[in-house]
Amino acid sequence: MTATTEPILEVTGLVKHYPLTQGVLFRKQVGAVKAVDGVDFTLGRGETLGIVGESGCGKSTVAKLLCSLERPTAGSILFKGEDITRLSGRALKAVRRNIQMVFQDPYTSLNPRMTVGDIVGEPYDIHPEVAPKGDRRRRVQELLDVVGLNPEYVNRYPHQFSGGQRQRIGIARGLALRPEVIVADEPVSALDVSVQAQVVNLLDRLQAEFDLSYVFIAHDLSVVRHISDRVGVMYLGRIVEIGRDAEIYDHPTHPYTQALLSAVPVPDPEAREHRERIILTGDVPSPTNIPSGCRFRTRCWKAQERCAREVPALAVPAAFRDASGPAAHDSACHFAAERQVVPAEGEHGNGPG
Amino acid sequence: MLLEVRDLHVEFRTRDGVAHAVNGVSYEVDAGETLAVLGESGSGKSVTAQAVMGILDMPPGRITGGRILFQGRDLLKLREEERRKVRGAGMAMIFQDALSALNPVISVGDQLGEMFVVHRGMSKKDARARAVELMERVRIPAAAQRVRDYPHQFSGGMRQRIMIAMALALEPALVIADEPTTALDVTVQAQVMDLLAELQREYRMGLILITHDLGVVADVADRIAVMYAGKIVESAPVHDLYKAPAHPYTRGLLDSIPRLDQKGQELYAIKGLPPNLMDIPPGCSFHPRCPMARDVCRTDEPPLYEVSGVRGSACHFWRECLDDRDH
Repeated sequence: MTATTEPILEVTGLVKHYPLTQGVLFRKQVGAVKAVDGVDFTLGRGETLGIVGESGCGKSTVAKLLCSLERPTAGSILFKGEDITRLSGRALKAVRRNIQMVFQDPYTSLNPRMTVGDIVGEPYDIHPEVAPKGDRRRRVQELLDVVGLNPEYVNRYPHQFSGGQRQRIGIARGLALRPEVIVADEPVSALDVSVQAQVVNLLDRLQAEFDLSYVFIAHDLSVVRHISDRVGVMYLGRIVEIGRDAEIYDHPTHPYTQALLSAVPVPDPEAREHRERIILTGDVPSPTNIPSGCRFRTRCWKAQERCAREVPALAVPAAFRDASGPAAHDSACHFAAERQVVPAEGEHGNGPG
Repeated sequence: MLLEVRDLHVEFRTRDGVAHAVNGVSYEVDAGETLAVLGESGSGKSVTAQAVMGILDMPPGRITGGRILFQGRDLLKLREEERRKVRGAGMAMIFQDALSALNPVISVGDQLGEMFVVHRGMSKKDARARAVELMERVRIPAAAQRVRDYPHQFSGGMRQRIMIAMALALEPALVIADEPTTALDVTVQAQVMDLLAELQREYRMGLILITHDLGVVADVADRIAVMYAGKIVESAPVHDLYKAPAHPYTRGLLDSIPRLDQKGQELYAIKGLPPNLMDIPPGCSFHPRCPMARDVCRTDEPPLYEVSGVRGSACHFWRECLDDRDH
C-alpha cells in the first residue's frame, strides 16, 4: 500500500487449501490444510518485497502460486493488471515466462545428468521465441558471465560446483527468459555465511542491471531486511504485518513480529545482558485447525476475549490512524502497540576496515 | 580442566585421495564453561567433536595424531568398553536433526529410560518414572501421557528438547551440541537455547557448542574458537573477538553478515571458496582468499600466535588486523 511505483503484481484474497480426504472408494473431504488463507499484497516495479515467517506459515505456497506452479483455491493475482489465475494454454505460458523462480536447495533443483549449459538453456526449449537455436550457446555463456561464473564451464555437470556456484547456476536459469519478476524462495539459506554474502550481492546487482522486481522469501530476518524495500510477516497462512523495512524492524506493532524480531540472535555479545527477549510459549497451531478470531491468539500474551471472536483486519490500526509516523502501517492486531525490540548496535563498523 | 584436546589430527581416506579434515586442533573446556566452535561446512568442527565423542566413522576416518584428555584420562588410549562408559555418563551429544537421531519405532519414554536401564541398572518401571521427570524438566506439556508417544508425534522444537533431555539424563560433565538449533525456527530456537543455557548453569556442565551462526555464539558462549580448513585460526573470549577480531577470516565473517538493525549497503563478501581438504594451500590455508596476504603467507604456515594471555590468532599479521578494527 505504500508502494510508490506502479504495481507489477497485485495479490488479493489469495487462498490455497489442500483437501484432506478419507476413504478409498467413496472419497469424501474431511478437512483442509489451509496453507494460504487470505493474503493480500502488491509488488511495485523494481521493488523487493520480503516475506518472512516460520516453517509452515505458507510462504513457500505463496511462491508457488505466484509462479503458477499451483492453482489458488480463491483470490486473484494481477500481473500488470491481468489476472493470471484464470489463464490457461498459450496465455499462461507467456505469463510464466515473465515470473521466474529461484529455488532454495541448489543440490536438488539442478538435474545432475544435465550439463550446466543444458540447464541454463532449457528455458529456451520451452520458449524458443526468446532465443533462436543458433544463438543459445552464446546466450548461456553470457548468462554465466553475468552471474559470475566462468563461461567456459558450460559443459560441466552440477556436481563439479560448490553450493554457492550452484545457486548462481539456478539464478542464471531464472534470468534466461528475461523475466520481470523473480520469486526467490530461501535462495541463500543453504549457503555458508561467506558465500551467502556473495549471492546476496549478486541478487542486488542483477536487480539494478535488469530492472527486476523481487519477491524474496526467507526465514532469516537479517537477510530479508538487507535486501527488501518492504517486508510482510506471515503467520499461519496470513500476512499479519506489512510495511517498509524500517517500519517493520524499528517500529513493529504486531506482537508476533515483535516476538520474532526479539528472538533473532544478534552478533553482538554486548547485547546479551540488556536485550529484551519475548519467548513465545507453545508451538504454531496446525493449519488444519486454525484458531478462531486472531490466529496468533493461542500464543499471544496480549490475547483477550475479543481476539477469539473477531478476526483482526490487516490495516493501519485505529491507534495510529491519525499519526503519520513509521508506526502507522498495516498490522492485523486488535491491540497493536509499538515496541522496539531490535537493539541498535552503534559500535560495529559496516564493512571491512 | 574438564576436557583438553591436544594437537588432534584426523584424516579420511577416500577413493580420490586423503582428505585432511582436522590438522592440529587444540582446545580446552572447563566445567560450567561454554566454548563455541565456529566454522563453515568442511572446516572440521563436527569431525573434531566426533573424535572427542568417539563416534567417528573409522574407517574411512583415522585419528593420526594428538591426545584427548577428559578428566585427566587420554580417551584415545581407552578400550572400547571403557569408552562406552564415558559416553552417556561422562559426556553426551546433542545432534542437529532430532528426527533422524531418535529411533522412530521406539517410544520416547523407552528411549529416555534405556539410559537408566543400561548405565544405572534401574528397573523398567523406575526408568519410565525418570523419563517422565526428564520430560517435565525440559517442559514437555502433559509428559506423563506423552511418554508413550513416538518421535514423529512431536513438533521439531519438542523433539529437540527430548534430545536435550536424553543428553542430560545421566548428568554428564560435558555436553557437545552440534548445531542444536539450526533446523529450528527462530522463536523455537530461542526457547531451546534458553533451556540449554539454564540446564547448563544448573548442572555446571562444560558445553561445546558447534555452530556456524555468529548470532547464537554471541548470545551464549564464553569463549570462541574459529575453525578454517581443519585448524583453529582464532581463539578468544567472546567479547574480545566481536569487538576486535585478530584474524582476517573472522573479520570477514563478521563483516559479511547482514544486520538486523539497519539496511546495509553492499555486503562485504570473502572472495573465493573454502579450500579442498585434499589439496589445502601451502603456507596459511586462508591466503588465497585473504585481503592482507603477502609473500610470507604463501610459504610459511602461521602458528597460533599469542595475542594476549587469553587469546590467540593464526595470522602473521594479527597486529595489523587488530589495529584495522580500531579505526
